[in-house]
Amino acid sequence: MEASKDLIIITRDLTKDYQMGSETVHALRGVDVDIGRNEYIAVMGPSGSGKSTFMNLIGCLDTPTSGEYVLNGQAVQDLDDDELARIRNREIGFVFQTFNLLPRATSLHNVELPLIYAGVSASERRERAEEALRMVDLADRMEHRPNELSGGQRQRVAIARALVNRPSILLADEPTGNLDSATSAEIMAVFTHLHDTGQTIIMVTHEYDIAARAERVIMLRDGQIESHDADISAVPHAAAP
Amino acid sequence: MSLLEGLRLALSQIWSHKLKSFFSLVGVIIGITFLIAVITIVEGMNRYVREDFAGSIFGINTFTVVRRPTVQMGRMTDEERRRYARNPQLTMHDVGVVRGAVPAGTIVTWDSDRGFDQVRYGERERKNIRVIGGSEGYSSVQGWTVQEGRGLSPLDERRGLKVAVIGPDIADKLFPAGSPLGKEIRVGPFRFQVVGVFQRRGGLLGGIWDAAILVPFSAYDETLSRNPGKLEEISVKAPSPKAMDAAMADVEGAMRADRRLRPARDDNFYLQTSSGLLSAWDKINGILLTALPGLVSIALVVGGIVIMNIMLVSVSQRTREIGLRKALGARQSDVLLQFLAESSVLSLLGAGLGVGVGVGLAQVVQALTPLPASTPWWSLALAIGLGVAVGLTSGVYPARRAARLDPIVALRTE
Repeated sequence: MEASKDLIIITRDLTKDYQMGSETVHALRGVDVDIGRNEYIAVMGPSGSGKSTFMNLIGCLDTPTSGEYVLNGQAVQDLDDDELARIRNREIGFVFQTFNLLPRATSLHNVELPLIYAGVSASERRERAEEALRMVDLADRMEHRPNELSGGQRQRVAIARALVNRPSILLADEPTGNLDSATSAEIMAVFTHLHDTGQTIIMVTHEYDIAARAERVIMLRDGQIESHDADISAVPHAAAP
Repeated sequence: MSLLEGLRLALSQIWSHKLKSFFSLVGVIIGITFLIAVITIVEGMNRYVREDFAGSIFGINTFTVVRRPTVQMGRMTDEERRRYARNPQLTMHDVGVVRGAVPAGTIVTWDSDRGFDQVRYGERERKNIRVIGGSEGYSSVQGWTVQEGRGLSPLDERRGLKVAVIGPDIADKLFPAGSPLGKEIRVGPFRFQVVGVFQRRGGLLGGIWDAAILVPFSAYDETLSRNPGKLEEISVKAPSPKAMDAAMADVEGAMRADRRLRPARDDNFYLQTSSGLLSAWDKINGILLTALPGLVSIALVVGGIVIMNIMLVSVSQRTREIGLRKALGARQSDVLLQFLAESSVLSLLGAGLGVGVGVGLAQVVQALTPLPASTPWWSLALAIGLGVAVGLTSGVYPARRAARLDPIVALRTE
C-alpha cells in the first residue's frame, strides 16, 4: 500500500446488513478498498453482488453496519444525517443513470443546486454554474430545460452539476445506462478528459467496454471483493450480464 | 439553505402549479374573506354607531326624559316592561318641572309623534313617514339643518300654525319638479303648509329622518295627536358633557320630588342617554366578535387540512426530487424549510386573496345597502398572521415526512 495521504478512500472491513422481514441480508461482508487520488475506478459485479450497497456507502447516502470508511482523511462511518449531507455536498459529485435533473429548471439552475446547499451566494452560484456548463461544452444550453436537451446533453448537465462544488470524487452510477452507444462514447470522453485534469472518478457499470475505459476495475461478488484489479480484457463484450 | 432561498423556491413551485395552488387555497380564502368582511362591517357599524347614530338619535350632550326606554339594545324583561307601563305619561307639567331644574343655558324641548303615517299632495303620496310634533328648538337640539325655506319659529308654536318642515325624501316624492315651499300637504284630514325642507342625512338610519315631517307641537297636539296633552319625550341639551351629567342629576331629583317618590321607590320615568346605547352596542359588538373566531376557525381548519393534503401529494410526487436534493447535500432542515416555506407562502397567498375578496365584498355590501364598511388595519395583520400560521401548521407533517425520506429509497422511486 502506498503512502496513505494519497488515498482518498479507505474502507476497512466494511459490512452492511439489511433486515428483509425476518431474514438478514448480508449485502456487504467485510470490504477493504483503497482508492488513490486521481484514480479512475470502475466497480463491477453481477446483480446482488453488493455494488449498489457499496456505492451508497461510498457516496455517504448510507452508513455501514460495521467497519471503517475514511473519505478524504475524514472518518465518516459514524456521522449523523446532517454531517453526511455536508460531506455529500462538499466531497461527492453524483452522476446518475437517469440523470435526475429537475424537469422544470433550466440547466443553469440544475447545476446551481449543490451550491444552494453549500450556502454560496447567488451571484457566485451563477458564475460557477456557468463555468461548469462551459466545461462540458453546454455554454449555449444554459437556459434550456431538460426536455429541450438530448440525452447526452442532459447527462452533461448532470456532470456539470456533479462537478460544480469541486468534489473530491465523482461517483457515477451506470452513467451511460440510458444512452445509445454514440452518446455513451461522448460521455466517456468527458470522463476521460476529467480524469486527465486530475478528477478522481468511481463508476459503477455492468458494461465491460465502459469499464475498460477505467484504470482499474474492482470486481464484487457476494458482498466481497473478488478482485481489486480485475482483468476484463479477456471477457467478450457479449458476456456482459 | 437560507430562508430567502426557501421562499424563492416556494414561489416558483407554486407559480408552476397555478391552478392546483389556487384550488388548494379555497378554504383559506373563504375563511379569511369571511373574517375580513365581517370585521369590516362590524367595525363600520361600530364607527357609525359611535360617530353618527348615537349623535343623530340623541344629539350631542343631550339626554331625554321618557316614560320608558325608546331605544334599547338587548332584551327587556317582562317585569321591566310591566314596570315601565305603570309609569305615568309625560305632560306639559313635567316640562315645567324639568325647566325649573336645569340652569340657564340648557335647552329644553319636547316632542311627540304617532309612529308611521302617510302624507299626500294632490294625487301623490308617500307612505311610511313619521310626523313629529316638536317644540321650539327641537330640530336644532336634534342637529337637523334646513336646506330650503325656514325651520319652525316660536311664532308657529305660539299660534299653533299648521306649518311643516319636511324631509328631503318626502320633498322628492311629492314635489318631483318645482319647490314644495308654500304648498299644502295633507296628513290624514289635516292640511299643513310646507315652509322648509331639511337637509339630507343619509346613512343607516338616515332614511327614517329623511322621511319625517316636523310640525309645531301645539298644532300637532291639536290635530294629529292620539293622546292630546301627552308628550313622547323631553330633551335636555346641556352645553358640555359635564353640565349634562349635572343636569341629569338635577332633573332626576326634581322629577322625583314633583312626583313625591319616597327614597325607597324606583324612578317612575326614565332618563335616556347615548352612553347607555353605546354600552348596549358594545355588548352586541362583543357577541359578534366572539362568535366570529369560531366560524373563521372552522374554515381555516378545513383550509389547513386541504393544504396539508396537497402538500402530502406534492411530497409523494416529488419524492425523487427530494432524494436528489438530499444526495446533493440538502440537510433535513433544508428540506423541512423548503416545504414549510411552500405551505406558508401558499396559505399566505390565500390569506392575501381572502383579504382582497373580503374588502371587495364589504365594499359591495356598503354600496348596495346602508351598512357602512371600515377595514381596521389590525384585521389585515390578523389575516396575514393567520395565513402564515395555517400554512406552517398544515405544512409541518408533510414537511417532516419529506425531510425524513431516505435518499436511497427516494432516488429509486419512479
